[in-house]
Amino acid sequence: MKILLDRPRCEGHGLCEEAAPGLMHLDDDGELVLDREEVDGDLLAAANVAVRVCPVAALRLT
Amino acid sequence: MPVAAQKTSDVDLFADEILVDPYPAYARLRELGGAVHLPANDVYALTRYDVIRDALADWETFSSTSIGFNPMVNQALTGTSLASDPPVHTQLRATLTAHLSPRALRGLKEQIDAKADSLVAGLVAKGSFDAIDALARAFPLEVVADLIGFTGHARANMLRWGQAAMQVIGPMNQRTAENFPIAGELYGWCSSVTAEDLAPGSVGRGVFDAEARGDIPANTAGHIIHQYLGAGVDTTIAAIGNVVALFSAHPDQLELVRKNPTLVPAAFNEVLRFWAPVHAWGRRVTRDAEIDGAVVPAGSQVAILFGAGNRDPRHYDNPDAFLVERNPIDHLTFGYGPHGCAGQGLARLEAHAIIDALARRVGRLVVGPETRVPSNITRSIDQLPVIEVVPA
Repeated sequence: MKILLDRPRCEGHGLCEEAAPGLMHLDDDGELVLDREEVDGDLLAAANVAVRVCPVAALRLT
Repeated sequence: MPVAAQKTSDVDLFADEILVDPYPAYARLRELGGAVHLPANDVYALTRYDVIRDALADWETFSSTSIGFNPMVNQALTGTSLASDPPVHTQLRATLTAHLSPRALRGLKEQIDAKADSLVAGLVAKGSFDAIDALARAFPLEVVADLIGFTGHARANMLRWGQAAMQVIGPMNQRTAENFPIAGELYGWCSSVTAEDLAPGSVGRGVFDAEARGDIPANTAGHIIHQYLGAGVDTTIAAIGNVVALFSAHPDQLELVRKNPTLVPAAFNEVLRFWAPVHAWGRRVTRDAEIDGAVVPAGSQVAILFGAGNRDPRHYDNPDAFLVERNPIDHLTFGYGPHGCAGQGLARLEAHAIIDALARRVGRLVVGPETRVPSNITRSIDQLPVIEVVPA
């Protein structure tokens, strides 16, 4: 599956980075960078948590 | 096809005894159903975790045009990001958060940590103090005043203005009626505030600079200042008061954080889950909504009970226990989705700083009985005497 970021909605809360540090990180400007977009297996589980904890629903999986 | 009959209860969400301790009523309502009709308040209460989270995500069905429980406040909030729906909301929200998001606030952590540490160190040395006045109120008032750049008259009135701004979101009861004039003072001040009234270099001054540059629409800076103060003071005070009260009542949980400071964010999540600072928040149902098999009719006023969802045993094991290691990162206290609390980044900075300072400097707190005063929307402790601090 693929992680999709609604960039205008992202405010840089960073909870996704804590949930899935291997998949995404905030850069020095506080902008979210998806290090990996296609996920399956264990990574899919981590991606699901990241999507779930985003407080402004800026992430989804398709 | 919906077949279940709509559940009804005679609970009055805004009765004094419910406002002071809503959790027994939350449990009764949650067992009745995910949505329960309350004729006393002319609302449908949303009570279960999944129902609340789904409603918060579904802005098309659950409109924010009626977040308050009386028509006057909803009228007054018209045109703010708080009370609007996409697509209008999207731009208003971006304007509001441009200076408030974690991205905008990065770099403030050291300064806020230092303020918290200095305040807690002073109180530990003093040994006895009122935890609400001396800590839970003092700290956010200082942080928010410095951040927005409040001085003089505005700084002196922040506490009562912030309290009134939340009270008037309730139904048209005596508390709301008494607080409208005070909320009006805040509104009036924000309508006439200019850049020069706010301290140079502050975020508040930055909002006016953005307006002058045309980055945000004309005449919006004052409204943004209004929302920072209206939403960001009373709720944070409640949360920090709850931190002190819960650590005092559960010294074993403080000890866990003392031994493992990486638990600070988890501890704050659990404080927010266990006692939500916001009691009820409104939505208007735009079309018939089926909830747990029963229909909430189009046009109904909804009351979202964050605290009821946070104690839903369908979602959290042993929900009535305060356990800092649980890390309930998906609690409902900040809401969720497009209207998720815009100030949650600042709230985390403040509360993490206080919890970290307490965990380093305090072994145990001996407190007297807490006093609560009924309040329409914010549930907070009014007085909490700390009798003795056992230092770390």
